Amino acid sequence: MTEKDIPEWLLKNENYVPQLDRDTFVNKSITSLLSVLSHIRRQSGHKTDLFGINAAFSVIFTILFVVLLSVSRGLVFVITANVYLLFMLCFLKSEDIVVILKTSFGVAIFTFIILLPTALYGNFYSIAMITPKVFASVTAVNILSRSTRWNSITGALKTFFIPDIFILVLDITIMYITMLGEFSLDMLYALRLRSVGKNKSKHTSLAGIAGTMFIKSKEMAEDTYAAMECRGFTGEYRIYRKFKFSFADALYIIANVLIILCFIYFGRYLRK
Amino acid sequence: MIELTNVSYSYTDIPALNNISLNISKGESVTLMGPNGSGKSTLLKLVNGIITPDSGSYRFGGEEITKKKLHDNRFSKLFHQKIGFVFQNSQTQLFCPEVYDEIAFGPRQMGFIESEVEKRVKDCLNLLNIEALKNRQPYHLSEGEKRKVAIACVLSLNPEVLVLDEPLNGLDPRTQRWLVEFLINFNKGGKTLITSTHNLEFLQEISDRGILFDEDHCIAADMEMDKILEDIDLLKRVNLVDEYYHKHVGSKHSHFHLHNY
Ligand SMILES: Nc1ncnc2c1ncn2[C@@H]1O[C@H](COP(=O)(O)OP(=O)(O)OP(=O)(O)O)[C@@H](O)[C@H]1O
Ligand SMILES: [Mg+2]
Repeated sequence: MTEKDIPEWLLKNENYVPQLDRDTFVNKSITSLLSVLSHIRRQSGHKTDLFGINAAFSVIFTILFVVLLSVSRGLVFVITANVYLLFMLCFLKSEDIVVILKTSFGVAIFTFIILLPTALYGNFYSIAMITPKVFASVTAVNILSRSTRWNSITGALKTFFIPDIFILVLDITIMYITMLGEFSLDMLYALRLRSVGKNKSKHTSLAGIAGTMFIKSKEMAEDTYAAMECRGFTGEYRIYRKFKFSFADALYIIANVLIILCFIYFGRYLRK
Repeated sequence: MIELTNVSYSYTDIPALNNISLNISKGESVTLMGPNGSGKSTLLKLVNGIITPDSGSYRFGGEEITKKKLHDNRFSKLFHQKIGFVFQNSQTQLFCPEVYDEIAFGPRQMGFIESEVEKRVKDCLNLLNIEALKNRQPYHLSEGEKRKVAIACVLSLNPEVLVLDEPLNGLDPRTQRWLVEFLINFNKGGKTLITSTHNLEFLQEISDRGILFDEDHCIAADMEMDKILEDIDLLKRVNLVDEYYHKHVGSKHSHFHLHNY
């Protein structure tokens, strides 16, 4: 090892001026995709569930809420729903609020623009109903995903009689998505750090990342399976999660029952 | 307890173990040493039944371990309860959504009742001093924390043989020290310990017997740890030390260390 001399060029300082090289659209979009993936990691790091509400309830009611919203034909209900959501939003952390509102407004404005032609033909109903509906649905789902940990959500699936082995697979899948996201982000950084100068073959490098990811995921899956076997896994699996009912749950259920009552009174028919 | 006779193994066409014969008896503490790629991890995988020999035989507790037997659920569970394995890369070893579930996984697979599981998990958390991590997600932990969780997961099964692949890698000096003490006590309690390492510093404390692999995936030496560490020529030959390593003469316990210049 020591016999080999370090080549001379490695000891000198490099005299290098990089050429102009724009990040391609593909490159940029992949970066943003990956940053979304790695966001799951950051957000789920130390998060606790919203007010300690049982995730089973949040999942059920969010789904129900979105369904009610989409079938409702009364503007009063849609507005009540939006008020309720904004109220819920107040309890979140400020950075979460910003992100949620950004997405919701973004989607709502997009919907509005799409529907604008119908308004020009005199159909104000759809633009007035659909835009707030979209806004509310996106906000509701976002609140759920921002305020509830992944494992609480998957754990809640157990309440709906979904097989345990399926939940285990789902948990492992989510773990891999985040882990692979991080790995590829790391590799992308490595690519960035190494592509000094004009790198025309970024696409091939990115393809390389994808390929490595594929092999990596296969190897990790094999290792994980071996680890499971080493701990006595032979195919059957049971999930144990304690089901507790708290004051916050009660409040949450009451709030949602009110929303449902509201739907029954205002939501079903079009008031003229 | 562990008997390997003329075991060879290769990954499709890459040889990893070449005619290995080895006996490890109950209560021993053995350390595998050798350069990168010499087959240490492969041997540990084989000992844990993750892979089976291409040729030669592996007996555990007098019983031959074969692929066919490992496919039998009851045999497989019994075997895996007796031998615990902490992977070189703890990351892939952790697959549950919470640390608690992770440690409880083994005992639950063994069919323990939930109160017993809870007691074991609590004791393991306590033993490794990681109670604070109980509800964290394993894949978001730091390297050292992951290693501790991985060890806790394996200990909760109360194995007779504990196998650790490079357990000291990536740990800070204090955690290394702590783990070494822990392993020594574990071994004193009558359990068998098999480790692999590149870290010469702690060798003498952890194990009294060393097994040295060379680059041809064979065993170059299998003898008392003190003797191996004295045999500088041998260590040099298998690339474990180079000229910058030297021995302090006159200090109470002699050790190797690295001069970084
Ligand atoms: N999954 C695999 N597929 C193909 N070849 C492999 C695989 N795992 C290991 N090898 C090869 O088998 C040989 C022995 O590898 P092994 O991991 O046992 O080495 P090691 O002694 O543990 O090395 P290290 O000190 O770096 O951990 C190496 O040449 C390696 O490249
Ligand atoms: Mg190894």
